[in-house]
Amino acid sequence: MSRERSASLALVAVVALATGFVLAGQVKTQLLTPSNQVARYSALIRSVQELESTNAGSRRHIADLRSQIDALESEAAQRSAATQALRNNVADLRAHAGLTAMRGPGVQVRLANGVPGPDTGGQTRYLVDFQDVQDVVNLLYAQGAEGVAVNGRRITPLTAYSGSSGQVVIDQGTPFSSPITIAAVGDRNRMETALNDPSVLPDVRAREVLFQLRLTFTGSPDVALPAYDSSLQIPHVSAT
Amino acid sequence: MRPDSPTARRRRGTRLRGLSVWLIALLVALVATVQIRSQAEVERSLVGIDSTSLAFLIDDLHRANDALDAESSDLTRRRDTLESGGAGAADQVLADEAGRLRAVEGLVPVHGPGIVMVIDANGLNALDLQDALNNLWAGGGEAIDVNNRRIVTGVSVGQMSNGVSVDGVLVVPPWTITVIGDANRLGLVADLMSKQLRADRRVRQASYRVEADVVIRSVVSQKPFVYAVGF
Repeated sequence: MSRERSASLALVAVVALATGFVLAGQVKTQLLTPSNQVARYSALIRSVQELESTNAGSRRHIADLRSQIDALESEAAQRSAATQALRNNVADLRAHAGLTAMRGPGVQVRLANGVPGPDTGGQTRYLVDFQDVQDVVNLLYAQGAEGVAVNGRRITPLTAYSGSSGQVVIDQGTPFSSPITIAAVGDRNRMETALNDPSVLPDVRAREVLFQLRLTFTGSPDVALPAYDSSLQIPHVSAT
Repeated sequence: MRPDSPTARRRRGTRLRGLSVWLIALLVALVATVQIRSQAEVERSLVGIDSTSLAFLIDDLHRANDALDAESSDLTRRRDTLESGGAGAADQVLADEAGRLRAVEGLVPVHGPGIVMVIDANGLNALDLQDALNNLWAGGGEAIDVNNRRIVTGVSVGQMSNGVSVDGVLVVPPWTITVIGDANRLGLVADLMSKQLRADRRVRQASYRVEADVVIRSVVSQKPFVYAVGF
């Protein structure tokens, strides 16, 4: 009896094993093409992630170096009035270039993706794109912003925006996607008035209606912006 | 039936074996589910990003990281100079930095290799000019001028009833856009832009030339901060 039971259990196990192999083979055959594609995509994604990690490390290193330089300059300035005057001048220029943190009254604008809908002008108009961010930043500067940061990344005199498929890349940073927060320090009243004006940012306003894209903002007596942490190299430019 | 009788022991053994088979089956099912779900998860996370976009992103990140490396090297050199030198070294570092930042902020005339692009059109608006300027910044522009008006972030490119304004001044077409930067990269960008612009019915002419040395004489004046304070 016991031998019979053992034999039947072994038979069940062998049948289950064979079924498992057959099933696995079938599933593998069906998934072969997609899994190859997934492997290729995964390799690309891994490359992006590695590059993003390097990017973040480099930006931390740059911020650290700038801090060290600031301390050394401060030390040198204590020894000479001329050096102190030069340092004050450079500090002002750095502040205007976005190289130092700033705070003051301002606004925080939030841009968030909408939902797909009947779309006539492209497949991804419900997504926030880099041109939306660029338009909001330009509007804020035109209305009295003295400094702007997008998702904590400071805008500089040479800032460029790029990206695709709902991804926003600013200067040498890693991509952002919705929701995107744009913080600005400056003339809070003017900026709030402009953001309340339904005639500004016409493309965003139209997509708010069509795709429920969301633009919201809040004013604040104290908005803080971080310092720029990337490159401001202009190797091809010389003063005349 | 006694608990230690042969029949009871046999039943316990059978139950144990049955339980083992179920446990193994459960584990196999669990592993298979995790494997299939993780594959599906990867596929889901890639929705909306095609491989071409990823390739462009990788290219951009490589270029960005190279730029960050260059900045790190420059900052390291400056730090080493400050560490090794006295007041003279600090003055030199600060003077160089001031000169570079004045150029970055558009406060001084500059020159260098680049391109000159001419766009003659009827009906292009402020957004068209803003997009063109952004393409040139993204394409390696380091200093830009439109019809003798210096462009940096914060200089308003606006729409007036009779055309486009830069810093409140009307810029009448044709727009001559002068850009200093990596001439090769800028040439490629300008070529693409020209082709796209020529396909636009509003555009009469869109052309560019690469030059070894272009001069930008226009400057902006620095506006003092009224609201912002450093911290």
